[in-house]
Amino acid sequence: MSDAFVELKNLTLSYDNSVAVPALDLAINEGELITLLGPSGCGKTTTMRAIAGLLSPTSGIIHIDGRDVTRVPANKRGIGLVFQSYALFPHLNAFENVAFGLRLQKLPDADIRSRTAEGLETVGLAGFDKRRPSEMSGGQQQRLALARSLVMRPKVLLLDEPLSNLDARLRLEMRTELQRVQKETGVTMVFVTHDQAEALALADRIVLMKAGRIEQLGTPAELYSRPRTAFAADFMGFENIFHTSGDTLVSSFGRLPVGYTAPSALLAWRPDAVTVGTGPHTGTITASSFAGGHREYVLQTPLGPLRADAPIAVAQVPIGQQISFDLPHQNARALAE
Amino acid sequence: MRHLANWSILGLTLLFLIGPFVIIILAGTSAGNNLAFPPEGMSMKWYLKVFTIESFRTSFALSMALAVFGTLAALVMGIPAAYALNRYDLPGAETVRTIVAAPIIVPGIIIGLALLRYMVVPLDVTVTMALFMAHTALVLPYAVRVVSSSMQNLRVDMEEAAVLLGCSRMQAFTKVVLPNIRSGVLAAFILGFVTSFNQVPVSLFLSGPGVRTLPIDMLAYMEITFDPSIAALSALLAFMSLAIVFIAERLLGFSKYV
Amino acid sequence: MFRNTREGLALALPAAIFSTLLFILPVGILLSEAFRQGGSWSVQGYIDFFASPLNRTVFLRTLKLGVLVAGSAAIIGYAAAFCIVNLSPKARGRVFGMVVLPLMISPVARTYAWIVILGRTGIVNEAITGLGLSDTPIRLLFTETAVYLGLLQLFLPLMIISLVSAMENIPRDVIPAARVLGASWFAVFFKVILPLTKEGLVIGGTLVFTGALTAYITPAILGGSKVLMLETLLYQRVNVSNDFVSAGVIAMILIVMSFTANLLLKRIATTRS
Ligand SMILES: Nc1ncnc2c1ncn2[C@@H]1O[C@H](COP(=O)(O)OP(=O)(O)OP(=O)(O)O)[C@@H](O)[C@H]1O
Ligand SMILES: [Mg+2]
Repeated sequence: MSDAFVELKNLTLSYDNSVAVPALDLAINEGELITLLGPSGCGKTTTMRAIAGLLSPTSGIIHIDGRDVTRVPANKRGIGLVFQSYALFPHLNAFENVAFGLRLQKLPDADIRSRTAEGLETVGLAGFDKRRPSEMSGGQQQRLALARSLVMRPKVLLLDEPLSNLDARLRLEMRTELQRVQKETGVTMVFVTHDQAEALALADRIVLMKAGRIEQLGTPAELYSRPRTAFAADFMGFENIFHTSGDTLVSSFGRLPVGYTAPSALLAWRPDAVTVGTGPHTGTITASSFAGGHREYVLQTPLGPLRADAPIAVAQVPIGQQISFDLPHQNARALAE
Repeated sequence: MRHLANWSILGLTLLFLIGPFVIIILAGTSAGNNLAFPPEGMSMKWYLKVFTIESFRTSFALSMALAVFGTLAALVMGIPAAYALNRYDLPGAETVRTIVAAPIIVPGIIIGLALLRYMVVPLDVTVTMALFMAHTALVLPYAVRVVSSSMQNLRVDMEEAAVLLGCSRMQAFTKVVLPNIRSGVLAAFILGFVTSFNQVPVSLFLSGPGVRTLPIDMLAYMEITFDPSIAALSALLAFMSLAIVFIAERLLGFSKYV
Repeated sequence: MFRNTREGLALALPAAIFSTLLFILPVGILLSEAFRQGGSWSVQGYIDFFASPLNRTVFLRTLKLGVLVAGSAAIIGYAAAFCIVNLSPKARGRVFGMVVLPLMISPVARTYAWIVILGRTGIVNEAITGLGLSDTPIRLLFTETAVYLGLLQLFLPLMIISLVSAMENIPRDVIPAARVLGASWFAVFFKVILPLTKEGLVIGGTLVFTGALTAYITPAILGGSKVLMLETLLYQRVNVSNDFVSAGVIAMILIVMSFTANLLLKRIATTRS
């Protein structure tokens, strides 16, 4: 037995007869904030619902806090889940939404009142007791849903894309808010998102998923700088990925000899790792946009479109003009096939 | 100009639909002994007489009881059925829907006759019991339909949230689903009540000594007596429906469920 | 959570079983009995039924009144529904409520009003004799006209409701757009309104036609034994002559007529588009 707080062993999850998640293994430590990251349909929600007990696994085991909970019903697992839609109870006001679970535990009234008030306070909704969910903004609803789960003092708190319905500003705000609440309460959190930046900003560790399998697992820094596969690299912003053949880069558009021997089957560059303005190769600028600190170019090259960021210091070149560029091997990330 | 045309078409239509009720209300106020319009003088005697006719009182009580308990029974079966049809991916869902909806499609008189022949007579079921079951079967389709439509907009994840907060499945239903479909259930009750109370063809064959629903009793009374008491009773029933619909509309915006 | 089929069936089955035992089974037996004669299957019941001139008259009359009532309801219904959807939202709710209201009132009461209107001492006859158009009251009750009027008043709301909800779904500017393009009102109706509301027409038409076929009270009160329709005939056959075979035959005919009407209307609705 490992000392992981949540452990999924060989977990297979399916709908009717189609397998959504085959044989997943994952260990989550106590107090950790894990994000499940991956494209739409890769099985994030499915995994989460299995942990919560809303979906029984086809096979495999789920351990939480040293206990096998695979067959424990959802209402006995002590797990909180914040839904993407929030799933607030429209017929109850904010206070009663938060008090809902506490009332079911038949706690003394005074306890219910103080814990509910405390919960609303934690998420910054003190004084909103009497509001119905329909009378609250998206961000307030999201925080209410969070409070409703938090007051139950769950062993694990699962959040399924809780920020996706919010506008960009509110997202940033709620992100820091979530981190603060997590540090304050020390709750083990699993956070689902398909937004790379969100995952990087929040997570202690990121689980990158692809078609029901874990593609790579690591700290944000590891995933950001050392993706192992083309899929992971693409997700982490390596927008230029090419096959190699000896000293030549190969794409479906064509080939480009680079003059050094590639160390792996695939090489990848972030846009800012591509040199523009100088270099042995030339391409035609097909798109150009100003992005504050730098300028984003798309070049038409023998390898097809190439994305490159030029420091603002480099003189602007108009669309249609030729520009020289380089794909330096010291800036490249070597990837497995 | 367009306005005038619009309102005259509507006025004529409404006159045709509602006018007869006005006439019947007035006809009931006659002071004479024969049904006539305009009424021969004014009095409330027929309105008062209705309450003294013993058979009307018993048949009214029976119709009330059938409407209330038949509708309640239909809801007891209909709410779970509507819930299951909405929430589960049942293999026989279409069949269940068709079976439950069938009593709407088939003429009521046939249902009554069939029950009389194959239940009341051979199985020795009392007429009252047969009436109760027939009215329940008749209201069931409305109960399922109206409750279903009010459940459609209710997201499943609300129930899941309730379960994760510690509810049993049953608690999730009573604490989360039921409060949110309350107006649908109430609308189903009212629609069921009215349907059952006004029902004639099903009850036509299901009557026995001292056991008659109010509409059937009225038909029987009309065959022997031609005084304004039926007009008065009809007017009273119209007022009752008016009150029910008015309250329901105020409470729930009832017409969207019809 | 809702993957347990057995649980779902357990919830749905009481209603289904109840309807099957109380409805499908008895009605099924009744209908099948109309195909039995002396212990074997036969259609003799139907042949005998249609051999009788009275039965044929009643059948044709029922069909005729059903079509007339449904047709009139459609015409009045379109006019009324068009006016209703052009009202302000507030007035629309009020008028719609007044259209729905009669449906909630006992059909006995609704039909009885026509006795007051059409009876020997009713409004119409009082007016006729009062104006000296005739010395003696005219017989208006127990005529097809009386039954027609009663049925139309009874079922018109169903048509209006169906057409109003269909018209509410017509995009707002379609009709003005057609007018601007030079379409006459006649063309607007047949080329725009009708195709866009035919679903409502099918629903309303089926409801009214079926309702008229299977109404009992109206033909019983306003038609009596002079103007029999299939439902009143069925009642007579059972109550007066204990003839259950005819009852089953009539029941079958009624059901077949309703279904055929529904299919036909659906057919018309789909081929027109
Ligand atoms: N109720 C369902 N019935 C059948 N298949 C389903 C169901 N829900 C999800 N799936 C399938 O399971 C797979 C995983 O779905 P899941 O919802 O877990 O994806 P996700 O990673 O949460 O995606 P998203 O980012 O879009 O929310 C998908 O292929 C999906 O089509
Ligand atoms: Mg998802």
